[in-house]
Amino acid sequence: MITNFGDFTRRHFMKSAAAAAAVGMTSGTFANSAFAATEEEGIIAAAKAGKPAGLRGMIWSNYMAAMKKSSEEFKKLTGTSIASIQDISVFVIPQRAMAEAVSRAPDFDFFHVDSNMIPSLASAGLLEPLDKYMEKAGFKIDAVGTFGNFMKYKGNTYGIPTDGNVHTQFVRWDKVQAGSKAYEDKFGKAPAWPETWEDDQRMMEFFQDQKNDFYGSANLRNRANGVTWWYMMFYSAGGFPFDDDMNPTLNTAAGKYAVETYLKTKSVSHPEAPGWGTPQMIPRIVGDKVFSCQYWDGIISLAENPKKSKTVGKWKYGLVPGSKQSGKLVHRSISSPIASLLINKYSPRKEQAAYMAMWFATLKNSEQIVGDRVNTFHDPWHKGHMSSKVVRKAYTPGGVDAIEQNLKVASPPIYLTGLLEFQDILGKNLSEAYVGQMAAKDVLPKTEEAWAKIVRRVGKKRLIKELASYKAVFPKVDVPT
Amino acid sequence: MTVSSAGGLDTDSTLKLSRKEMTQARAVRRFKWAVLSPLVLVFALILMPVLLLQLYFSFHGWTVYLGSWWDAEFVGLELFHEVLTDSRFGWAILRSLYFALGSTVGCFVIGFGLALLMYRPFRGQGFYYIFFILPMLTVPIVIAYTAEMLLYQKGPINGILSAIAGKDINVIWLANPDLALTTVMILEIWNWVPFSFIIMMAGLASLPREPQEAAHILGANRWRIFYEIQLPLLRPVIILALILRFLEAMAEFPKTWSLFQGGPGSATETLPIYIYLTTWNYFEISKGAAMSYVVLMLMVAIVLAAIQLLRREKSALDKMYATKSEG
Repeated sequence: MITNFGDFTRRHFMKSAAAAAAVGMTSGTFANSAFAATEEEGIIAAAKAGKPAGLRGMIWSNYMAAMKKSSEEFKKLTGTSIASIQDISVFVIPQRAMAEAVSRAPDFDFFHVDSNMIPSLASAGLLEPLDKYMEKAGFKIDAVGTFGNFMKYKGNTYGIPTDGNVHTQFVRWDKVQAGSKAYEDKFGKAPAWPETWEDDQRMMEFFQDQKNDFYGSANLRNRANGVTWWYMMFYSAGGFPFDDDMNPTLNTAAGKYAVETYLKTKSVSHPEAPGWGTPQMIPRIVGDKVFSCQYWDGIISLAENPKKSKTVGKWKYGLVPGSKQSGKLVHRSISSPIASLLINKYSPRKEQAAYMAMWFATLKNSEQIVGDRVNTFHDPWHKGHMSSKVVRKAYTPGGVDAIEQNLKVASPPIYLTGLLEFQDILGKNLSEAYVGQMAAKDVLPKTEEAWAKIVRRVGKKRLIKELASYKAVFPKVDVPT
Repeated sequence: MTVSSAGGLDTDSTLKLSRKEMTQARAVRRFKWAVLSPLVLVFALILMPVLLLQLYFSFHGWTVYLGSWWDAEFVGLELFHEVLTDSRFGWAILRSLYFALGSTVGCFVIGFGLALLMYRPFRGQGFYYIFFILPMLTVPIVIAYTAEMLLYQKGPINGILSAIAGKDINVIWLANPDLALTTVMILEIWNWVPFSFIIMMAGLASLPREPQEAAHILGANRWRIFYEIQLPLLRPVIILALILRFLEAMAEFPKTWSLFQGGPGSATETLPIYIYLTTWNYFEISKGAAMSYVVLMLMVAIVLAAIQLLRREKSALDKMYATKSEG
């Protein structure tokens, strides 16, 4: 075809541009599919280059259930399979994995564990860096926002995610709509999506009905988990827990704001909340007993399951509240624990284990794992999950959009060697303040004091070097689009 | 034994006798070693190395992040000083002592009461015996999870209490820091009453009947027989039951951990919980080892005191019997 550019009008140009854009989109889609195929083929080819192996891993069967199908397919294609697992809770695996680090045993090939343990486990010498295997297989972690950085430590990739597990805001929108006028009468404005922690508190106070066992908040306030909520408040207020010399910086305006905000929810929480974990709180969320919460996103799937929930269609999901404490509005959600596959450096089968981990994390396989309606333990994290029909069906379109927003501002707990110790001390002190065993004003100075000791023990120099990895995990945006 | 016609011992037969006795003694010795050697082997091959390794760790500053444990720096008594000046450790000791004392007394009182009701044969005794020892056969973790289902604020236990009291009772068993440890104590008592029950049953069944019958003939009522005869005779058994239960209660972990993980606040942070946190959450293996040794010393002191007490009780009883038989 010959084109006479002299006849090329503005209309022609616009038509051609539109056509080119359309073709570009299509070719992009095809290119993506081609990449997906190449990605899986690459993994299989790399895995086939080695000897087939029967792998042994530490993984909770609740997570394993959704991965079985992909695992069987991997076995058919490569001969490598999961021969046996030690079935223990994801909350106990950090301790067990650390025992393996101490013994330097080659028995386990992989650990399905919170990726926030990467600094601690890598420092203990347990983890195999995966970058060379990823390069060989042509695999990349294609996660939303900076979520892929959760797998990195000191420039190396140590984990492959199977679960996003980001906190998402849940609001009983049916209650909001029903009580909208009364709310407006009281506050002079219609209720809207809670933009800040203060908005959230106000709405919880207004819409709760404690006499009828309907509480404002379902946020956890027990010793083990409560701290997770505190991080969101602290980070959104512009806080960061250490200065560049690893001196704790908790006892700051941001820290005090976070403690105050954290303790305020006592007025909207069930009196038994200080002793409750997820086994007690989840039934209340899906049992029509709470107005609002920031909760792990997997519960969306449960809350929208008519067989298991009384609240189908009643929730609205969205971005967790933020804070204007730092002078600008900042939203920070949290991802913890993030169930990920970490590979044992001492295993003779580490290469096969690494390829299998990547296999679970391709879009095609992870979509099936995350979209499982029965075994709802893995939550969306891959960019492709956000538009996947399977995933959107499981989590509802509104739910997936909310997850995407929160993933874009997902933050870590203390992403440093010694996570569990830093966290337990803070959690203990917050819990003591919540139940009245400690004055609120003492929480931060006492935590700082204990943290300074931990820093000395783990090694100041080591931790200073780790700070860059910790900071890299933080989101680059304050308010997601 | 053969005796010579002259009434004295025959030398040959004496020799024969000694040989027989010697053989018997050898057999007894062999039997003792046969029984003891597996235990000695377990102690020497498993327990001793662990104890020695613990000792090594408690004198060397090592965490999992500090390279190989065999290269750890020698720190002398520093860790013991750290442990003994750690207020959290002090509170953990107090909580453990409160828990162990309370549950030991609770187990004993109920167990002894049941044993007193049960030790005389009656129809259906076997059934009740099995029924009463069932809690001891229940796995602690199952007890914890069952308790969690029963003890929540609007749960069945508060429901039953409300029905009995005729008013709404809303005890917060699992989230009130002033009550949490007592809740575990109640579960511990339920779990281990059978232990005290069995020991006290055995003790009551083995009491000599003569003094009791004599007292009865002399007109003593049942309370007096119990207070003045049975109870003094049972004292060594009681002390044994109390000591064993106390030691066991000091080490309680599964129920406390699965229900509370040390919370709410630090209300249930007992010694085993704190040692576990230090060793396996903070990965401070050396400090955990030092703590374990301090606790071990505490336990050894308690056991030695108990042995001393038992010896004294036994010699008092021996003296009493000797006086009676002389009389």
